[in-house]
Amino acid sequence: MARYTEEELLQLKPEVEVPVNFDIDSFRAVIDKVKEIQGLQEEEFQHFHRRRSSHNHGKPKIKHLKPKITTDSDGWSTFDNMARRKSSVVAGGSGTINGSDEDAPAKEPVTIAQETLRVKPNKNISSTKPADSRDIVADKATNNFNAFAALESDEEDD
Amino acid sequence: MSVEEVTQQTQDLNIEKPSTVLSDEKEFQLKHPLNSKWTLWYTKPPVDKSESWSDLLRPVTSFETVEEFWAIHNAIPKPRYLPFKSDYHLFRNDIRPEWEDPTNAKGGKWTHQFWGKTPDIDDLWMRALLAVIGETIDEDDSEINGVVINIRKSAYKIAIWTKSADKKEALTRIGSKFKTVLKLGDDAQLEFLPHSTASEKHPQPSLVL
Repeated sequence: MARYTEEELLQLKPEVEVPVNFDIDSFRAVIDKVKEIQGLQEEEFQHFHRRRSSHNHGKPKIKHLKPKITTDSDGWSTFDNMARRKSSVVAGGSGTINGSDEDAPAKEPVTIAQETLRVKPNKNISSTKPADSRDIVADKATNNFNAFAALESDEEDD
Repeated sequence: MSVEEVTQQTQDLNIEKPSTVLSDEKEFQLKHPLNSKWTLWYTKPPVDKSESWSDLLRPVTSFETVEEFWAIHNAIPKPRYLPFKSDYHLFRNDIRPEWEDPTNAKGGKWTHQFWGKTPDIDDLWMRALLAVIGETIDEDDSEINGVVINIRKSAYKIAIWTKSADKKEALTRIGSKFKTVLKLGDDAQLEFLPHSTASEKHPQPSLVL
């Protein structure tokens, strides 16, 4: 029986590439193709099974205030979006570039007034009726023309 | 004619010695024959559900000399380069690398699983090949049928397939040598699994080293 130790076999190992008795290029091509397909399948798998990004977990939860609407006895509704916040204060340039607070005059914080929008719900907005019943009064002529009074005034001018 | 004269005349004949791989790496004339012909098989990973096992397992080439072995070994991709679910099988003569093959049917395999990346897997596979084709792992008869490496995502598995599964002493000797070839320490386990248990869900090893 022909036997060779590992050392004997290693001694016979050529350092240069020796031609083989089969189509090595086709064999390598098959392996490369399978690797390419597996890579694409893995990419697809990771796309559909990827973990959720964790950066959303640390996002502060913003509580949106519910707009407060109050309706008075005249039927006027008051929309107050800042029911809880009375005013917003903006630091109006209190910081300086070099941090030399002594040189720069201290500015007062700017207070932004909260506007209150008054809205009256109107059911007639799309009809031919006046939108506001008080407008009917406003449209009427308030002074009638007095011809005699006009004549009198002309004479005085002369 | 005296012995000296014959020796002198023989030397004067100036017979050109045939070149070997040692004297000429490319144009050598003499090759070192192996004890058997060996066939390299490759299992291609399935990329399509329609592919069956018979489509995936194919013989690559055969060799009968040390020089041919090296030419093939140097040319083919190493285990670390192979895609997952690939296998290389090196089997004696025309034995198919399947436990259903008549030569394998009554045998089994010594197997070890290398978990993780195993950076020296190419070297360990080469050592296993050399031990098998050099017939140094098998002192008595040709008990070895072949050697297999499985490339998986989480592990590499190298196994040596034997003709029988009941020759405990002979198998233990083979297993001990195989453990040395694979550079396994005392804490690493080498298991022998008879092919008769291959269809079981959780086959138990009949021998452990």
